[in-house]
Amino acid sequence: MDLVRHLRYFIAVAEELHFGNAAIRLGMAQPPLSQRIKRLEEELGARLFDRSARQVRLTETGRLLLGEAREIVARADRLHELARQGRGAVLRVGVPPDLAATVIAALVARFRETHPEVRLAPAEIWTADQVTALAEGTIDVGLVRHPVSAPGLRFGEILVQVQGVLLPDGDPLTGVGEVHLADLAGRELLMPPKEGEPGLHAEVLAACRRHGYVPPQVHQGAGLGLVLAGAAVAFGPEVEAPGLAWRPLLGSPIASRVSTAWRGETAAAGDFSAVAVRTLKECAGMTDEGAVPTRRVSRRPGMLA
Amino acid sequence: MSGPDFEALFRVAGVTGWLHAADVDTGREIGHGADEPLPVASMFKVPLLVELCRQADAGLLDPAERVTVPAGDRSSGPTGVSAMLDDVTMSLRDLAYLMIAVSDNASADELLRRVGREAVNATLEAYGLSVTRVRRSSREIDRSMAADTGHGWPYMDPDEVSRMRAFDPSWGNAGSPRELTRLFGLIWRDEIASAASCAWMRGVLNAQVWPHRLASGFPYDDVAVSGKTGTLPTLRTESGVVEYPDGGRYAVAVFTRSFSTALNQPRADAVIGTAARMAVDHLRR
Repeated sequence: MDLVRHLRYFIAVAEELHFGNAAIRLGMAQPPLSQRIKRLEEELGARLFDRSARQVRLTETGRLLLGEAREIVARADRLHELARQGRGAVLRVGVPPDLAATVIAALVARFRETHPEVRLAPAEIWTADQVTALAEGTIDVGLVRHPVSAPGLRFGEILVQVQGVLLPDGDPLTGVGEVHLADLAGRELLMPPKEGEPGLHAEVLAACRRHGYVPPQVHQGAGLGLVLAGAAVAFGPEVEAPGLAWRPLLGSPIASRVSTAWRGETAAAGDFSAVAVRTLKECAGMTDEGAVPTRRVSRRPGMLA
Repeated sequence: MSGPDFEALFRVAGVTGWLHAADVDTGREIGHGADEPLPVASMFKVPLLVELCRQADAGLLDPAERVTVPAGDRSSGPTGVSAMLDDVTMSLRDLAYLMIAVSDNASADELLRRVGREAVNATLEAYGLSVTRVRRSSREIDRSMAADTGHGWPYMDPDEVSRMRAFDPSWGNAGSPRELTRLFGLIWRDEIASAASCAWMRGVLNAQVWPHRLASGFPYDDVAVSGKTGTLPTLRTESGVVEYPDGGRYAVAVFTRSFSTALNQPRADAVIGTAARMAVDHLRR
């Protein structure tokens, strides 16, 4: 028996207190309505209506159950409503855990402005885990760091963010305006986890070696505690934080490249990509790819002799 | 923000220093005693290089013309043709290359004889450089030091050194930090000779071999340093251009006089690079 449907019949009859009027309201004939009320009474083992008089009246039990019946029907309606919304109206988005909180907030706010009917559900996931989550369908769209490759993955416009270096207050290098990677010699380096950001790891450490900086130790983590403690330096966008000093890197040798990523064709992913590009350009200082200058190595005869 | 403390930097290195640095393209500048007339030592070879190019541009000489510098009567020096034993025949422009790359005195004096010091000074005057003058050849400077002290190299006595005419900017070859950065700016902006000649001069100045002065302040593969050193007893100088990976170019001239007459003073050489780095860093803020 479809209990919820039978309860709807019960509510209609209880409100009309007339089988004929209730049948009209429900868009059905009167005999089947009478039959279904009878079946409901059998199911519940109680009489709901007193039909002995010429007019229909609710029994004491019927009056008691009416409130409950309305509650159940309303909840069932809500269930269907939620199920309908859930099919397209929540966009599950993966973002790198070290993306600035203000940038994540701006992403959510801007997407809400342009797509009020869709709720954005961000989850902090490193790039490698986003690739897995996209494959498994546990997120709809990701914000990944390049280089990354996975079959079937589509990417939005790649944006570039030139990185500087975060130094602890008191580091002698805070006295200069610009720091060259080679100046960092001897300092340990803090980076995002290697398993989470394998592409970034390889690319950044290769750039460091090319420019004369081989960190004696590479720490992994997202927080800046090690930098604050004076135990390491880290690369990142400009931040103002007590105990830390940010300096640009001479020659802009290190850049973070990010884009949205998704599988299949979904309008929501495309819409999110467009919002993400605008937000990252305006709030996170990211620029179009290609803005990074190519490196020229100078010839110094004194170094060749 | 206030400028770097050059005074303290030079003092720690055991020298007195003068400096001027300027953005080649914007003119933004910083100085420390930038207008002081000072002896330029071997940096006189830069205005000489310029005049050689201008005469070649004007068709007055052929830079590929081969000349012979005989072994018997050559200006002395530790490098290049000066250090060779036999007659040398090479082109004027190759002599110029040796004059700049290894500061070859014999090449410089041969070229100075060819272009004439009056012509060098007329060009300097025409470009508004009134302190910078080429009055003496390498050989004349060398002989003046021997004459002033009554003996040959080395010159270690501070009193003797202080009396040398070679240090008198009105007798010897002179310049100021500001005028030298102006001269380098004119070369780097193609303003003091034809574009082709300026490009060749930049290549030659970039081929200078010494890593211990200006270049030591920029120990980076992606920063280019071009320049010309100058050295006399207690005097260590270099002027040139530093080119950053983002295209920024900065003309820098640093002069130092060491308190000690010792010949080997790595800190006095290195402070030229350190001061230049601080100046360029300041200009880029």
